[in-house]
Amino acid sequence: MTSGDATSSDADLLRAHVDGDRDAFGELVRRHRDRLWAVALRTIGDREEAADAVQDALLSAHRNAARFRGDSAVTTWLHRIVVNACLDRIRRRQAHPTVPLPDGSRSDDRPSGVEPAAPVTDHETALLVRQALADLPADQRAAIVLVDVQGYPVAEAAEILEVAVGTIKSRCARGRARMALALGELRGRDTGHPPAGNQDAAETVPSGPGAAQPRTGGHDGRDQR
Amino acid sequence: MTGAEFSGVDIDLLADYIGGALEGTPDESAVATLIAEDPAWREAFETLGGQISSVRAELGRLEAEPMPADVAARLDGLFSAPPLTLVKGDPGAPTATSTVSGRRRKWVTPIAIAAGFIAFVGFGVDYLSGRTASQTDTASTAADGSAESAISMAGETILVTGTDYTRATLAITPAQPLAAAPSSGDTSAFGESDAHRQDRATAQEPALVRLSARAALEECFRMIERDNAGGVISVQTVDYARFEGAPALIVRFSANNGAWAWAVGPGCGTPMSGADAIDKVPVR
Repeated sequence: MTSGDATSSDADLLRAHVDGDRDAFGELVRRHRDRLWAVALRTIGDREEAADAVQDALLSAHRNAARFRGDSAVTTWLHRIVVNACLDRIRRRQAHPTVPLPDGSRSDDRPSGVEPAAPVTDHETALLVRQALADLPADQRAAIVLVDVQGYPVAEAAEILEVAVGTIKSRCARGRARMALALGELRGRDTGHPPAGNQDAAETVPSGPGAAQPRTGGHDGRDQR
Repeated sequence: MTGAEFSGVDIDLLADYIGGALEGTPDESAVATLIAEDPAWREAFETLGGQISSVRAELGRLEAEPMPADVAARLDGLFSAPPLTLVKGDPGAPTATSTVSGRRRKWVTPIAIAAGFIAFVGFGVDYLSGRTASQTDTASTAADGSAESAISMAGETILVTGTDYTRATLAITPAQPLAAAPSSGDTSAFGESDAHRQDRATAQEPALVRLSARAALEECFRMIERDNAGGVISVQTVDYARFEGAPALIVRFSANNGAWAWAVGPGCGTPMSGADAIDKVPVR
């Protein structure tokens, strides 16, 4: 097998790389880079950060290929490394907040909103959806990017993020609910119409630590490994 | 609409229910009961359920964006580039004009590193032991316009043992010299046979191809020197090898804090990875 062989499986290519084929890893990257990029960009939300995260992740994968045990698909493994690189960067950003730019576009966790504009059709909706997605907590955003944006099955997303299937379901569900509420708010703001509901109440949805206590007993946020 | 309109409803719990995260748990029936018996929960369920479906549909319609060409080119350069030749006049050798344009500032390429290295040589900074001022001058002249000239200034021995080191064996000096650098004062580039052996080095460990470029190697040394925090390092040997199964560069050096053997990864010398140290042991 050679790395130029289009019929080579991902596992073949990774094995060839470990065995010394200097082109094999590059071929593997070419196969999957668009999807890895899409996940990184949507998760971290900033082009430069996404590019750096993908590069870091692939360098790590390149270096540690020999340690890949084949417990999961190669693409799952690559996605895991890329998503973790993104989440690491988000966490670093939270730990060391940057000085906000004059336009205030950068927050600690949220993407900086420098993604290119969507096509003119559905432009506003796409912008609002991106904004609502960007405002989610990072773990919910990563789950939603994998499942709802990229279309990965919940089980594969759970494998990529190394959490239980139930955790992915919960993160997606809560994230979607947050987005639904936020989109209503954003649309109301954009149209100049005040959103419905009690304006004196808090505008954020309770979620995660500090969230309102559920009315049923034993609910622990469903975040489980 | 805000979550406030669902007063008295735990939105997260309701979302979990709608999203199927409660399946098979006691909470599932508890929430179902609330929806059946509590008007607030029922209204929230009906309203939020539809909105969540819309959100999913809108998320699925987000345009997929392929990796930008500059980022893709960067990855190609990192993982598919031919090993940087050390032979003068090689037409396949990348040039600054062909590689630097369009690159983002935060991406440090072997060529960019090479440029930095040449500048660094020009300032007379010396990483190698025993270098004299006149030798630095000679090196600076040799570095004018070609990174491969800089390779001849190195005093360390380059090895390609392919050994899979462990922490226990890291300090043991290997015995297969590949290409000892020319003696001091000799500013000629590597001979062709040396270049071929250098090619073999990268063929054996493709993950280390970036570090086959002299400039990248020097940047790696600089990061090691910084992280070691023992003053100027004097590198004795560099081994393109492995450490616990993973491709690694084994760098043996001495500094004010003693003699050391470091295993560093392929990211050594890059801004994000720093020295990319995997392990380090003192050599006695």
